[in-house]
Amino acid sequence: MNQRAGLSRLKAIGRFVGWYGVLIALGIVFAIPFLWMFSVSLHDLAGVFADPFRWVPEELRWSNYVDAVSLLPFGRYLTNTVVITVCVLIGTVLSSSLVAYGFSRLRFRGRDKLFALCIATMMLPGQVTMIPLYIGFSKLGWVDTFLPLIVPAFFGSPFYIFLLRQFFLTIPREYDEAARLDGAGKLRIYWSIILPLSRPALATVALFAFLGTWNDFFNPLIYLNSPENATLTLGLNMMKSQVMGTGVTQWHLLMAASLLVMIPNIVLFFVAQKHFMKGIQVGGLKG
Amino acid sequence: MNRPKLIRREDLEGYAFIAPWLIGFLLLTAGPMLASVLISFTSWSMLSPPTWVGLKNYEVILSDDPLVPTSLWNTAYYVLFSVPLGLLLSLALAMLLDRRLRGMSVFRTLFFLPSITNMVAVSVLWIWIFNPEYGLINAALEKVGIVGPMWLQSETWSKPALVIMSLWGIGGTMIIFLAALQGIPDELYEAADLDGASSWRRFFHITLPMISPAMFFNLVIGIIGSFQVFTQAFVMTGSVQPGSEGGPNNSTLFFVLYLYKKAFQEFRMGYASALAWVLFLVILFFTIIQMKLSKRWVFYEAGESR
Amino acid sequence: MTNRAAALLAFCLIGAGCGGKTNDGAGEIVYNSSANAVEIQALQSELPEFARESGVSVKLNPFSGQEKLYAMIAAGQAPDIFYTNAAVRDRLAAEGHLLDLRDVSSGDPFLDRLWPQVVEDGRSVDGGLYSMGNWSFTAGVYYNKDLFDVAGVSYPDTTWTWNDMVGAAEALTKDADRDGKPEQYGLFIPSHFIEVFEQMNRTPIRKNALYVSIPDESAEVYRKYLDLMDKGIMPDLLTVQAMGMQAVQMLAGGKVAMLVEAVPNQGLIEALQIRWGVAPIPRFGQKPPSYFRSGSGGLSISARTADPESAWKALKWIIAGASIYQPNPVLRDADFVGGWEERYPQLKDSGFRDVWNLSLEHNGGDLRSFVRYSSWTSARILSLLQPEFDQLWAGRITVDQLRSQIPSINEQVERELRNDVTRRHWKPEFRDAVEAQLARLPQ
Repeated sequence: MNQRAGLSRLKAIGRFVGWYGVLIALGIVFAIPFLWMFSVSLHDLAGVFADPFRWVPEELRWSNYVDAVSLLPFGRYLTNTVVITVCVLIGTVLSSSLVAYGFSRLRFRGRDKLFALCIATMMLPGQVTMIPLYIGFSKLGWVDTFLPLIVPAFFGSPFYIFLLRQFFLTIPREYDEAARLDGAGKLRIYWSIILPLSRPALATVALFAFLGTWNDFFNPLIYLNSPENATLTLGLNMMKSQVMGTGVTQWHLLMAASLLVMIPNIVLFFVAQKHFMKGIQVGGLKG
Repeated sequence: MNRPKLIRREDLEGYAFIAPWLIGFLLLTAGPMLASVLISFTSWSMLSPPTWVGLKNYEVILSDDPLVPTSLWNTAYYVLFSVPLGLLLSLALAMLLDRRLRGMSVFRTLFFLPSITNMVAVSVLWIWIFNPEYGLINAALEKVGIVGPMWLQSETWSKPALVIMSLWGIGGTMIIFLAALQGIPDELYEAADLDGASSWRRFFHITLPMISPAMFFNLVIGIIGSFQVFTQAFVMTGSVQPGSEGGPNNSTLFFVLYLYKKAFQEFRMGYASALAWVLFLVILFFTIIQMKLSKRWVFYEAGESR
Repeated sequence: MTNRAAALLAFCLIGAGCGGKTNDGAGEIVYNSSANAVEIQALQSELPEFARESGVSVKLNPFSGQEKLYAMIAAGQAPDIFYTNAAVRDRLAAEGHLLDLRDVSSGDPFLDRLWPQVVEDGRSVDGGLYSMGNWSFTAGVYYNKDLFDVAGVSYPDTTWTWNDMVGAAEALTKDADRDGKPEQYGLFIPSHFIEVFEQMNRTPIRKNALYVSIPDESAEVYRKYLDLMDKGIMPDLLTVQAMGMQAVQMLAGGKVAMLVEAVPNQGLIEALQIRWGVAPIPRFGQKPPSYFRSGSGGLSISARTADPESAWKALKWIIAGASIYQPNPVLRDADFVGGWEERYPQLKDSGFRDVWNLSLEHNGGDLRSFVRYSSWTSARILSLLQPEFDQLWAGRITVDQLRSQIPSINEQVERELRNDVTRRHWKPEFRDAVEAQLARLPQ
């Protein structure tokens, strides 16, 4: 009996070590790009080009971070990025959840066809709609403002609508029925039943919307003109481009700045994950 | 008399809820999409008024452009491998992270890191990783006695290299699975444990059905996204010469990369738009199949959604 | 809850409203530049003074890209000044989007300050002047002096030949364990520099040609190039993807003793911490030398600009006034070598001065006049030709097989160009020039 208990304990320890082994190995594989960026950010330019590449440079040049930040008015860019990102985040979560609620829990004529249309809009490569869209925004006089970057978010995005619809569909209908019997209207059911029950999904959408906007390069590039309107990604790109076609990018500074731009993403993810982790149930049989 | 009136009220409510998207569609999306249809029937350089050419672009695509089948095949290859592998790996990771072990929040963050790392900034790293002589992958393979392939320089291995690269970025898919896994009530597993169900049984009879809506989402989005694969090939392939993207020997010339080159390097936006609509139809076809099949395997708590 | 939502919405509305400085036009010249952070800071700090002196205020738009430029043009909002390379310039000019700089520059002494080739490179097939080179460079062989000393090989001189280079490379290749994978290679020539050797071998260059041809001089260079790999003195093109960083890395790390790169290459100069020198591109036997010399495109002015005179003043200032670009190598009266030696003292005994002066003395012109890089068919030709080159460097086809593909590539290009001539809204001068050339397919 005792032996058996010992054996199963050994087994448990073995399994424990096994899981962590797998997790750590995978963790390293997935962290490689990040570790490389971090390593490059502490080199000098010559060290970046050394062969073989030293993962830990002889001299850790933390001053690269100061140099990178003082190269451009990153404070201004940060403000711009935060304004755009927060607006997009709010617009996306509000409108996409409303629309997803309509598509998942209401019955109306033409619903499935409209939903199919919504999905279909994702299937056309943006490369061919970009110029007509640009012409449209420029006719509105919105070029070089944040409007082309923010306003579309308030009309919902098919990706998030689809995602939220899938999650809303996992919530049993009995909740709606019960609330309806209590005299709640559709808007009330959406606001006080569906949304609270979907916090993990909403947190996911909010996270994606944040990351997507924070890291977006192409749209700001197209629509913004004035240096003072730049976002962080545009600032990073200015570090990348070369002097008259003959320069080599200052990789060490670029990586330092890129990491600084990434940090809010990492912090946000680290903090936000508790919202889509245990404790909040989507549509379970609970309650 | 009462019934139709009731339906109309429901209709109105429904339209009210989807109004943000509907208005956005009509104002922002429909116009450019319609414009691109019209452009696809023209010869347009973007720089002067277009010339109407009727179905000419489509005729050339269907019969007279050898790069159309090439780029379609490249894209199909990429979709065929990156979507299933990505789904499997991200689900496996999500289930690994779903365990209640200490330090999970750190691992979740680690696995998600590549998804928030600027693709363009680390493209140099990727080229280095895949470098046949000095790269990380072949160095690792050499340790176990395998002579690694030429990766991005090889017609055979350039597509697998880009597939491998795409697997790094599965963080988003993983998070969606994780959110779905977290939504499975413990009671279901407890009941299964009482019945003495094996882990495989638990997986196939509880986990999979419960996350099937998320799986369906990831599948559809994965297919739509991978058919439009562009950035990796654009920054990773070819030399510094513009026009050489998609090499070697067109082995990474994906469909959207091809249409991009047509539009912005060769000033053939009309032809590129026609290509885009062909791709649209291809993706639409596969998505409709997904939708039809989904009725058999996707399980919604809210019941049949019609 | 609702209050908070309202507050957030208000924030969004305010947010959406800001960043709203639109260009109000009057007297302001918009310059779309892909300058980097250092350049932008320098330009921004000097623009006010330029405005005071000239009365022209320039608004810098540092976020540019091809797609964006075309979108702006399509929307009728082209910037006043922007960068174009030869291929793009011809297209834009043909469809009437570029100002013919002859209109604003005639009689301007500024043109005399430029090297004649710079002005010549800005001309398109109709004879119009549509861009002004804003930078120029040549190519050279960078070499690691320590590796030369160890191997007892003397440094290259200014008249060395291809055979001298191959001999040096053989002496500098080291494969101690004889596994066929040298630890140190003699030489690396990235494939996008091969044209430099074609030019040195006197391949005829036809400016603004519509068709591609691979004359014997080029074929000879390709064979010699493949030979370097066969001999094992140059790393296989396939093993090394010659993206800028990695090529420089190989030289910096002692993996190769010689590397062909642009001269000057600011990033390379800053990155190299070895003892290095730079030699001119080697000659081919007794043939008189012909050095590559190029701008990387130039600055163009939009045909829709409200104020061509001011735009021209601003363009001149960017090239010859802005201190960050001085001394500018496109100017005859600027001491370019001296300026750069002052900026980078390591250039002083590197051979940079010789390489530079030789390229002025035996100026072979801009490779972008070479059909693969110029004219409106270049993008199409490149996309058809590149796969063939991929196969050539992979050893799967021979040079002759590559050459046999040329007629079919030209036929396809011709067919598409004929369509363009009939369908596109080109200026008559361009249509006539292209039609005249369409008839002349090379043999």
